[in-house]
Amino acid sequence: MSIKAFVVLQDVSFRFGDQPILDHVELSLNKGTSYALIGKSGVGKSTLLNLIAGFIQPSQGSITIGGQTVKKSKGSTAFLFQDLGLFPWQTVIEAVMMPLLLKKEKNIESAKEQIISLLKEMELESLKDKYPHELSGGQRQRVAIARSLISKPELLLMDEPTSSLDATTKEHIQQLILAQQQKLKTTLLFVSHDIEEAVFLGETILILNKNGTIQEVKNPYFAQKNAKEQLGFYEACIEIRKLMNMETTVNEHHTKNR
Amino acid sequence: MNIIRKIGSSQLIVGFFSFIVFWELINLLVQTHTIPSPLATFTYLFTILDDLILHSLGSILRVLVAMSISLLIGIPAGIFLGVNKKINRLFSPFLYYIYPIPKVAFLPVFMLLFGLGNMSKIMLIIWIIIFQMILSVRDGVLQIPASHFKVMNSFAASIKQQYRFLIIPAILPQVFSGLRISIGISLASLFFAENYATTYGVGYLIMSAWTKMNYEEMFCGIIVLGFIGLLFFKLLDLLEAHFTPWAAK
Repeated sequence: MSIKAFVVLQDVSFRFGDQPILDHVELSLNKGTSYALIGKSGVGKSTLLNLIAGFIQPSQGSITIGGQTVKKSKGSTAFLFQDLGLFPWQTVIEAVMMPLLLKKEKNIESAKEQIISLLKEMELESLKDKYPHELSGGQRQRVAIARSLISKPELLLMDEPTSSLDATTKEHIQQLILAQQQKLKTTLLFVSHDIEEAVFLGETILILNKNGTIQEVKNPYFAQKNAKEQLGFYEACIEIRKLMNMETTVNEHHTKNR
Repeated sequence: MNIIRKIGSSQLIVGFFSFIVFWELINLLVQTHTIPSPLATFTYLFTILDDLILHSLGSILRVLVAMSISLLIGIPAGIFLGVNKKINRLFSPFLYYIYPIPKVAFLPVFMLLFGLGNMSKIMLIIWIIIFQMILSVRDGVLQIPASHFKVMNSFAASIKQQYRFLIIPAILPQVFSGLRISIGISLASLFFAENYATTYGVGYLIMSAWTKMNYEEMFCGIIVLGFIGLLFFKLLDLLEAHFTPWAAK
């Protein structure tokens, strides 16, 4: 276990009735790093994310975030849901403002400046008075991301953040997520079925196996600091696929652009 | 030309004129004094306008009081059932049993319990619409996606904040549709409620005109009852557009 670890899972198991979903999981995540959690269907990726978020309780073991129990650390963690969870009655600006109102932010003026600046960065400023049903899928995604980031969470959890988007929008959203994560130095853990997404966003790739073991792989594409070690996007995807024993071909649109 | 086009495009005016045409046709076909002509009725209407306003105000007041009390009880009760699964399981069979019973059947009970005055009339209307209100609100709460509650939990929202930012806005469209259904039922039941121990109210006016065989007056009452319904529906539309702007867009 890393000394600097920000999120620590020790001997975590989760059962649904008699059925074990996760068994004796050990995991530690460092602060400010992005992690992609991948694995075959049904291995418990989303369950693991829900456990860290505190939505469900482990049957066994402990989870700490910044040295505190999950319950106490609430408010410093944000969760981006697969279905986004945008409220139909909130305009873009209301949705992004909500986390600050929930935190009872006292300095409203500086909060407003902060919101406007984030909306600009997420290319949402002109849509600030629109309701979710008036937005496209990509725009809704950006609103949900902005809502997650406005309170500058120390830990951002995302469950398949771009699964419902078309290829072009997906790439755009991934770039925005990466830029914000690097700017805010947020610890990012996201679940994905898409290896290309994992390779593009995850500094470290966590492969969850059915027996609950987690294989931690330094993303060869992401190793920006040492250019000699940096693999091309395509090669990195192949590398990760090999580790997962998968032989699916990489989508062309990703390899073309990266 | 623009005014004519505007009038032509107004569904309300078109609807009203279709009703007048239909009425005139029936009058011409049936040729009986029981169905007076629209012209005779409207001419008569202006001669008793003051009385009509008084009767209408009486009816409107009864419906408004009944609806306000139903809202005050129905919204918290519906939310309580929606957020407490065990309580909902316990009380739903009771609601499902009571809901389809014609509540007018309870009129004698209310007369005995609350006397012959306004109280029994208002209580009858409340008894009729409150179940609609409770069920609408409860369903509104039950329809909130689980992910919305997860969003609030992830932001560590307190119970009070969950009500302010999630539950209350989520049930508003259901409250308005519940109110819309309740208006129709309230006005229909008002007719029965205003048939005893009162000398004002549109229900009283219609039945009193019928016993006097004054069919113009009877039809004036029917028309006014329609206008009261229209007034309530339009008022509700305005309130809905104000409080649920996302639904209107």
